[in-house]
Amino acid sequence: MNHSIALPVVLPALTACVLLLAAGNDLRRQRLVSLASVIGLGAIAIGLFAGAAGGPQAYLVGDWPAPFGIVLVLDRLSALMLLLTAAVGLAALVYACGGWDARGRHFHVLFQFQLLGTNGAFLTGDIFNLFVFFEVMLIASYGLVLHGGGAWRLKAGFQYVAINLVASTLFLFAVGLIYGVTGTLNMADLAVKVSSLPEGDHALLRTGALLLFTVFAVKCALVPLHWWLPQAYSAAPAPAVALFAILSKVGAYAIIRMHTLVFSADPAGVSTTLQAVLVPVAALTLAVGAAGVLASRSILGLAAYSIIGSMGTLLIAAAGLEPRQLSAAIYYLLHSTLVGAALFLLVDMIAASRGRAADRIVPGRMAHARVLGALYLVAGMAAVGLPPLSGFIGKVAILESVRGGPIGALAWGVILGTSLLLIVGYARAGSTLFWTPPPSPVGLVRARSLPALPTAVVVTLLAATAMLSVSGASVLTISAATVNELLTPGGYIRAVGLGSSPGPE
Amino acid sequence: MLPALIALTPLAGTLLPPALQRHGRSACALAAAAPTALALCALLVCLPAVFAGQAVEFRAAWIPQLGLSLSFVVDGLSAFFALLILGTGLLVTLYARYYMPAADAMGRFYGYLLLFQGSMLGIVLSDNVLALVVFWELTSLSSFLLIGYWHTRPGSRQGARMALVVTGGGGLALLAGLLVLGGIAGSYELSEIIERRDAVRSSPLFSVALALVLLGAFTKSAQFPFHFWLPHAMAAPTPVSAYLHSATMVKAGIFLLARLWPVFAGSGPWFVLLGGVGLATMLIAAWIALFRNDLKLLLAYSTVSHLGMIVMLLGFGTPAAAVAAVFHILNHALFKASLFMNAGIVDHEAGARDMTRLGGLARVMPVSAAMAAIAAAAMAGVPLLNGFLSKEMMLEQASGTVYAGVAWLVPVLATLGALLSTAYSVRLLRSVYFGETRYAAAQVPHDPPPGMSLPVAVLIVPIVLIGVFPALAAPLVERAASAVVGASLAPLELVLWHGLTPALGMSLAALLGGLALALSVSRTSRLLARLPRPDAKLLYERGVDAGVAAARWCIERSHSGELARYVACIVVAILAVAATGFLGGTHETGSRPALPASGGALVGWVVLAAACIAALLGHRDRLLLLILTGAVGLVVALTFALFSAPDLALTQISVEVVAVVLLLLALNLMPKTTPRETSTLKRCFDGVVAGAAGLAAAGGALAVLTRGFDPISAYHLAEAKPAAAGSNVVNVILVDFRAFDTFGEIIVLGIAGIAIVALLDPALREAAARGASAQVANSPAPPSPLLAVGTRLLLPLVLTAALYLLLRGHNLPGGGFIAGVVVAIAFLMQYVASGHDWAARRARLDAHSLIGGGILLAGLAGMGSWLAGSAFLTSAHGHFSLPLLGQVEWSSVLLFDLGVFATVVGTVLLALATLARVKGPVIETVAQEQVGKVARAEPQRVRRRGSA
Amino acid sequence: MELLVASAIGLLTAVGVYLTLRRRTLPVTIGLTFLSYAVNLFLFSMGRLAVDQPPIVSTGRAAYADPLPQALVLTAIVISLGMTALMVVMAIRGYLETRSDEAAVRPGDAVRDFGGSTARTDA
Repeated sequence: MNHSIALPVVLPALTACVLLLAAGNDLRRQRLVSLASVIGLGAIAIGLFAGAAGGPQAYLVGDWPAPFGIVLVLDRLSALMLLLTAAVGLAALVYACGGWDARGRHFHVLFQFQLLGTNGAFLTGDIFNLFVFFEVMLIASYGLVLHGGGAWRLKAGFQYVAINLVASTLFLFAVGLIYGVTGTLNMADLAVKVSSLPEGDHALLRTGALLLFTVFAVKCALVPLHWWLPQAYSAAPAPAVALFAILSKVGAYAIIRMHTLVFSADPAGVSTTLQAVLVPVAALTLAVGAAGVLASRSILGLAAYSIIGSMGTLLIAAAGLEPRQLSAAIYYLLHSTLVGAALFLLVDMIAASRGRAADRIVPGRMAHARVLGALYLVAGMAAVGLPPLSGFIGKVAILESVRGGPIGALAWGVILGTSLLLIVGYARAGSTLFWTPPPSPVGLVRARSLPALPTAVVVTLLAATAMLSVSGASVLTISAATVNELLTPGGYIRAVGLGSSPGPE
Repeated sequence: MLPALIALTPLAGTLLPPALQRHGRSACALAAAAPTALALCALLVCLPAVFAGQAVEFRAAWIPQLGLSLSFVVDGLSAFFALLILGTGLLVTLYARYYMPAADAMGRFYGYLLLFQGSMLGIVLSDNVLALVVFWELTSLSSFLLIGYWHTRPGSRQGARMALVVTGGGGLALLAGLLVLGGIAGSYELSEIIERRDAVRSSPLFSVALALVLLGAFTKSAQFPFHFWLPHAMAAPTPVSAYLHSATMVKAGIFLLARLWPVFAGSGPWFVLLGGVGLATMLIAAWIALFRNDLKLLLAYSTVSHLGMIVMLLGFGTPAAAVAAVFHILNHALFKASLFMNAGIVDHEAGARDMTRLGGLARVMPVSAAMAAIAAAAMAGVPLLNGFLSKEMMLEQASGTVYAGVAWLVPVLATLGALLSTAYSVRLLRSVYFGETRYAAAQVPHDPPPGMSLPVAVLIVPIVLIGVFPALAAPLVERAASAVVGASLAPLELVLWHGLTPALGMSLAALLGGLALALSVSRTSRLLARLPRPDAKLLYERGVDAGVAAARWCIERSHSGELARYVACIVVAILAVAATGFLGGTHETGSRPALPASGGALVGWVVLAAACIAALLGHRDRLLLLILTGAVGLVVALTFALFSAPDLALTQISVEVVAVVLLLLALNLMPKTTPRETSTLKRCFDGVVAGAAGLAAAGGALAVLTRGFDPISAYHLAEAKPAAAGSNVVNVILVDFRAFDTFGEIIVLGIAGIAIVALLDPALREAAARGASAQVANSPAPPSPLLAVGTRLLLPLVLTAALYLLLRGHNLPGGGFIAGVVVAIAFLMQYVASGHDWAARRARLDAHSLIGGGILLAGLAGMGSWLAGSAFLTSAHGHFSLPLLGQVEWSSVLLFDLGVFATVVGTVLLALATLARVKGPVIETVAQEQVGKVARAEPQRVRRRGSA
Repeated sequence: MELLVASAIGLLTAVGVYLTLRRRTLPVTIGLTFLSYAVNLFLFSMGRLAVDQPPIVSTGRAAYADPLPQALVLTAIVISLGMTALMVVMAIRGYLETRSDEAAVRPGDAVRDFGGSTARTDA
């Protein structure tokens, strides 16, 4: 049994406890511990990623056989997500050490718990346990949203919490229904049981399953369930939002996981209905995101709506079960996570260097306009999907994969059409921020030297997106292998120990 | 390798000039010239092979999965364009060195210029259409940056944005078109697409691909109706206009049409669209150009017009027309670039570009005048200059073309176009260089420094040479043209004298007519000034603004910030999904026998229903609402008890107490009533939604309750005792089978506690800051000392009870969580009885470490099993005996449960103690509130500003 | 019996949703509490109903109530306690901060800070 599979959950938990017990209010020590732990997490993730190439591995928590205990499963997808989490986590943490973490108590503790919840959600093979980790992830994120205080955070945070609690309630309803019909909670076991479910139970199973997907859709901020995102993301401290870039992907991950593992054989027509609903919704989401970018009066809003749009693009591809399509989706997931994180951190730096004008899209004095402008240009290109950065590659991959398929026309129209809107939005914002001379040009913003660490973080993230495009071939190879594994759930099911499954090969 | 070198050298050199920023303008210019020259050398090395008829290739994979590769091919056409790009590039670099104001940061300028140059070379060289799109969009981007170079001018910003949106948007269409094209051909390599042209032509998607590609090409090459962006791109520094917007970038679209000529040419739509659009563009733009007074604008529109002419020629689809097109591309690039630079010289020396403020400059700057005269004459199509030849060929092609069944249409209109171009050339020359001397500069203008004249001169020489000895250009044109048509042409001879052909007559007519028109233009223009002219830029800006306004309307209306609306939306969506799910599948009612309803159950149900209805009606009175909530909680607990879930009942009750106390504390600090602020309609709507949700939930529950199933929990029941040494299966599941859930659960609880403190901390500090802490300490005295003493005596008892619950939990109802809550409640009672300063003192026992310790303990208990080599949270157990309790099953899970216990106590205490401490300051602030708003408003605004 | 429980769940859900659709923070919080009651009851009943069969293993008893949903519900109760507590405190803080307990976000509230303290540059 490979104990390191449990580490992504255990390590952050211990770190958080150590922070609570030992580090007290000594910020320097907290930073050291936190950073060390996240770096460790990265090392573990790399190890697991390498290990996952050998096929799915199960970790029976408490040594209880599946489906009776809780099982953690490491496969290519979960390993990839763990790696991504560690990377973005490290970036966000380093940025936070630039001063954000001093704005209130317990930033690092909450940060660690957030990582714990995310990793757990990626690893677990049990739907109720998934619920628990969702809650860990969420309550930590609530704490992070509120970090630093202020009326805006409280109001926006309250809505964020309320909406997510509705979603959590729905999660329990869904899990309950599924258990009530199938009598199991283990995903692999579910995959086996649904295929042999009496026809009379199909309606209830479908209801439970689709409600579950609805919960995930809330996390993905799909229209019309997206309301929490613009506010929460514009209220939360930048490094927290950078980490949230992963949060929204957990929903996408869960959709892909449940869809491929449990419903790929289309029992009770769940998969058919799911795709029929999800694709138009995702397209609508993309449209709303683009419109939001065009409408935004602040770069913060611009970034937030870009995230919504990117989730739409992602889900258009992730809704299907067609290998090329899913592989494109995974590539786009990587891209949008990195770019999203970079974008929010950059927005924070820009707003911080503009004094009163802050993040509003109005002409204003700005320190370090050259550097920030260059970074904005690159980030914008990546977000809009202009070549040669990863956004373009991802888009082409998706367009390529849906060509000729049933959703081809819709996807092409929406993706290309919204790209134009995004170009307009970003160009307008950029030229107002960096080109339009301020109304009163006298007295520049008192230019302190550009904070080194945060800048380095943003540059690194943008460089990563560039790398994603340069080495696109190998990335797509990885995602193809991942998808291949996902679409043959038999391996996963056997790894969990339910080998006798008629699970679709 | 060489082809890649040509394209990538400038791109690699992009950062060179900015790096040399501080070493002065010349250094920057050199840094820009060096890569260009290098690339040019690489190209020259390739040329012999190209002229020998074979193509020089370089292919490297990039993303094979997408068919995206870096393959560069130097053949006749790409070599021809690369020569143009690099040649003019060098000249412009030199020219800009002297043209640009001393104040400008030349490093950035040259950097952008190299970026553009590299991308443009990429377009013409790459054989992979996806890579072509990459470079295509990069040229759009670099032109955006260059047009906006003087970004403090509003015109520059708008022009830049417009150019980016139009050409970038066209790029998207192009991407789509090429993806379709590649899809049909089964490859994204241009050479292969061209090979499989027949398959492409026969495909049903052919016209789609064609339309999308043309959209891309027309936007880039400013064809009608997308011509409007080019004139506004003239806000760019003149060297940029000369380079991008006359010689190279605007020809990218034409290049693409030429490249895909073998695939598309000859098809009906191709002829109709290109012929029509080209002709229209040629005429309209020429007509507008005739009445422009700004030199650069005149040149811009004339550029559009000439591009239209080239597009038309390509549209004709005959090899001869293709030759004419290629030849005119060359000639146009030569005379137009020189004219732009000349305009720059005039602007630079005479201080104005407005022809109404200029005149007679021939006297003061003869050299420039002479060169301008030659170039303008070439544009007008005067014999013995290159422009004459290609125009002649154009007219010759036109004369033989039947459009829309009308034989005279194309010839006449083409002649008219030529006539107009003569007219504006003459007008330009006449009003700038002849007539009475006028200029806007302070001192008398004179010929510019050689640095600026030289590039123009270098362009003038070939204009004349080709004009006199056309054969000189033959090999280059022939190579390029044969690359276009994809077959080697008959060796073409370019000659001055074709004999008395109709074309000759047409061009003579054009010349004379143009001359006449030019001389009478001043009168006509006054006439036309009255006619309204649609301002494309205005329309564009209006369009974008309208779009933004529309987007704002939608987004800001829908995202009103009203939580109620959001939740309503979500609930409705959920119900819709549920309906879709349920109705989409077959449902059979279950056969499970129903339990008979007991009297107690009925009573409970009635109480619950009453409480619910009361809550609905009376929820505005918050205290009442709280009480009802408590009541409902109790009924729920009883329900658990009734249906054989003792642990749940205990938990529910204890949780209920904590929750209610929390809510009471909250209510203490918040308004006691909820105002009625929703319309009856809204309330009805909410009612309907709520009702639907209720029905759905009830229906779901009933549907499941009435059917049988065999759950995995049979295993838990069977294995709890033998394998996990516990008879309380629920607790065994919690601490053993599914301990991982519990681990997460206590973490959630712990985080809640921490978050609460983090949340209330500022409130306390502010209170302290407002010097309120004094009042905080002494709160109202405890209600009765007796109660206080009583509760304090009670404490030890409660603690023992809790310990008992904790220990027995594994076998009987109880366990860490319940025990924890009980202890917490005990402290809570202390607080109620003894006032919160006492509790505050107790709160000194640091709840943080209690939480941290608890989670740590649970975690360590779980990791202990690693020592035994088994999985996380694997349990071990045995026996030991305790006084009072007798034989006790010890189990490693007890440690885990202890962790749970500690976390729970810590969290609850932390939450309550902190809340208790907030109480003081709030009372105090509320008091302030009543005293006067100012007292409060001030610190708050200060706080905001501190954070703004 | 089943009907009673099911209808009770329905009632609780309806009240919960209705209160959650109010405009003030406290009613919303309590609405969510009602929803958690409802869902806990629902989840619990997914193990089907059984009287006098507590899942405490003892010799000579064959039938037990399904323990698994009970365990899940216990976890759910605890989690919702944490959530409720946090929400209550947020409601309080929000009220102290803005002097209003509206659950709506007004554009005017949108004043926030940027940049880690080291990155601050003030006009």
